[in-house]
Amino acid sequence: MSLSRLQTATDILKARTRAYEAQAYQAHRGMALGDGGETSPLPLGASAVDRHLEGGLACGGLHEVRSPLARDIGAATGFALGLAARAMQGDRSGRRGVVWVTDPATRVDGGGLFPAGLAQYGLDPSSVTMVEPGDLQGAMWAADEAAGCNGLAALVFQIKGNPARFDITATRRLMLRARQSGVLALILRQSGEEEASAAVTRWRVNTEMSGADDILERGVGAMRLSLTLERNRAGRTGQWLLAWNPKVRSFNHAAPHPASRANPPAHSLDRLPASADRQALPDKMGQVLDRRQDFGRAS
Amino acid sequence: MALDQRARARGVRLNQTLSDARALVPDLDCHPADDQANRALLLKIAGWCERYTPLVALGSDPEEGHDHGLFMDITGCAHLLGGEAALIADLEARLRAQGFHVRLCLADTPGAAWAMARYGQERIIAEGAHAGAILPLSLSGLRLPPAMVASLGRVGLKTIGCIAGLPRAPLAARFGARLMQRLDQALGREEEAISPIMPVAELSTERRFAEPVTHQDEISRVIAALATGIIEPLERRGLGLRRCRLKLFRVDGHVDELDVQTARPLRDAKMIGRLFDERIAGLHDDLDAGFGFDLIRLDVVHADPFDAAQTEMMAHHAAGQGHDALVDRLGARLGLDRVQRFVLADTHIPERSFGRQPVAHLGTPGFGARRSGLGNTALALASDPEADGEIITRPLILFDRPELMQTIAEVPDGPPLRFRWRGVSYEIVRSEGPERIACEWWRDGRGARTRDYFRVEDRQGYRFWMFRHGLYGRETSDPAWYMHGLFA
Repeated sequence: MSLSRLQTATDILKARTRAYEAQAYQAHRGMALGDGGETSPLPLGASAVDRHLEGGLACGGLHEVRSPLARDIGAATGFALGLAARAMQGDRSGRRGVVWVTDPATRVDGGGLFPAGLAQYGLDPSSVTMVEPGDLQGAMWAADEAAGCNGLAALVFQIKGNPARFDITATRRLMLRARQSGVLALILRQSGEEEASAAVTRWRVNTEMSGADDILERGVGAMRLSLTLERNRAGRTGQWLLAWNPKVRSFNHAAPHPASRANPPAHSLDRLPASADRQALPDKMGQVLDRRQDFGRAS
Repeated sequence: MALDQRARARGVRLNQTLSDARALVPDLDCHPADDQANRALLLKIAGWCERYTPLVALGSDPEEGHDHGLFMDITGCAHLLGGEAALIADLEARLRAQGFHVRLCLADTPGAAWAMARYGQERIIAEGAHAGAILPLSLSGLRLPPAMVASLGRVGLKTIGCIAGLPRAPLAARFGARLMQRLDQALGREEEAISPIMPVAELSTERRFAEPVTHQDEISRVIAALATGIIEPLERRGLGLRRCRLKLFRVDGHVDELDVQTARPLRDAKMIGRLFDERIAGLHDDLDAGFGFDLIRLDVVHADPFDAAQTEMMAHHAAGQGHDALVDRLGARLGLDRVQRFVLADTHIPERSFGRQPVAHLGTPGFGARRSGLGNTALALASDPEADGEIITRPLILFDRPELMQTIAEVPDGPPLRFRWRGVSYEIVRSEGPERIACEWWRDGRGARTRDYFRVEDRQGYRFWMFRHGLYGRETSDPAWYMHGLFA
């Protein structure tokens, strides 16, 4: 008698726990998908990517753009600026302007945005507000404030490497604030490793050889980016080759260059997810570099 | 030379030689006069005196070697403290409590007050009585150079009364117009304006406390209350606040000043309060309240006409205000010069072709149609998407200083073939150029060199902007190469 009563109590508890778990899962999913409900996704313009993302990037959400090497920062900046330009273009209920917050560590070797280049890239330089706090803490505060501002089109938070202070809690805060306000929040991580974060998507950007120029034989053609969607909370990952069209402010698919260095490995993405504190990564023995292009050997 | 009370009590007098004084008081403590420190202290006291009136001026003209002192114009201020006598008593008591020895006098003219404070006995001269009061005083009271006072003394003119009744023309001819001017100023026959140290605020509101406030929350509440109080007069004048200053008068005489600027006219008490909260939070060390603040004042330093249409309750306007408010908040916390926008300059040298200016100083934010209001036509042209098409000639990222690299290039003016930058070698596959940008000889002088810019792409697809510094053969025999930017 007493035993059966105990069993019923356990059952009730179990059922309740299951209900709570389901609720929490739903809530988590809702957050992960980043659909603020009222904001429509931001399409990149390239059909395959948009199909893959089910319409585009979630606007009220946090996305990370990563350049693995310091010299890839040009390409990564280009991708982030393209997204920002698209966010501004689609006049989303009077939102305007881009706030560009930089961690002072990026200033050391990164150089700064060049307004003439921005204008040619299709972004009005006068709509960019540069915020350069004196330390990382100030930069994180500024990014938080900007992510929570519902009059802003896009926020770009440029950081260098993987500072310990900018951890998963900080990204989650950014994510939540962006979700409430509908700001397109981008982390532009310069020469950083992959790290677990609350971001909806994480993109790795590598530069790619440009297409042929119609006018000049040896000329530099339209720029191309090799985009890798490393992480996608809402769906699958993927890899694409895109070009940016500054005139219509849209990304297009580009045909791969025959002499391209990027012959993507078949299973490049079948890796363990990154851990939050980077403890689980195996120790690196160093990287194998292709030195054949060095001065002495090439001639 | 100056003496304090204790030295006087032990028999030291002014104009004594130091050795005589040392003989009298062997443990005499003496310091050389430090005019700059004196002036700095006087300025601080002047800042503190603004609790009584905004019109505080330095009463010193150092070139004439006169005493230092302060003028305060308390017209219309005395009633706030319960009358002239109460104001004088309060001022003296507070300054004495801070350890200063003061001589005060209140009179109708600055000249008379100056004379009475130094040579007279009375503290308050009744209205209209100043002329009679200063007549028996020494001529030094007229703020004259000591040499003039001495030569007047030699002809027997020792008091102000002596010269007040004399014919003016011979005196002016003998001693200069300055004498008569000073006499007229003291007697009130000629107007004398004092020049306040701080610009007078357009509006100002303050709160005094019997019990000093120390707690940050209390201070925030006071700021909010002051801000609420300032909105109504702003509305009446049709103004919106652009810049305001908070003055916190500490009990021990220290005055803290906090400035806040906004990107466009503001008339919202809550926002003003938030801006100051951010400003306080952004201070490197906390606001040092010491024993507390007994007076907090909010001055509107600058206000602009407030366009009533700005407060329309339209959705996109509300959103735009969110953007402006964000910029104000960032500026208040991080410092105004850390929140910037681009402005273009009229030059072709890339690193000089633009500058960055604090948003708060740019006035109305330059968006869309209002961009032309910036006076920045170059920016408007450059950002016209139809003007440039798809050809990209300028990089997204520009290095602050071009970086020197090792480069192999065709001589004399061909494109680069290989280069080494930041320890990595690149082989160039494609290149465009040169785009020649001549030096600005009017700025850089005779030796400045021309730059030939190339847009290049390496085997891996990195796109760079680099230049050859100097024309081969004409300007240099060994031109250096510099890396200047990165394309997307």
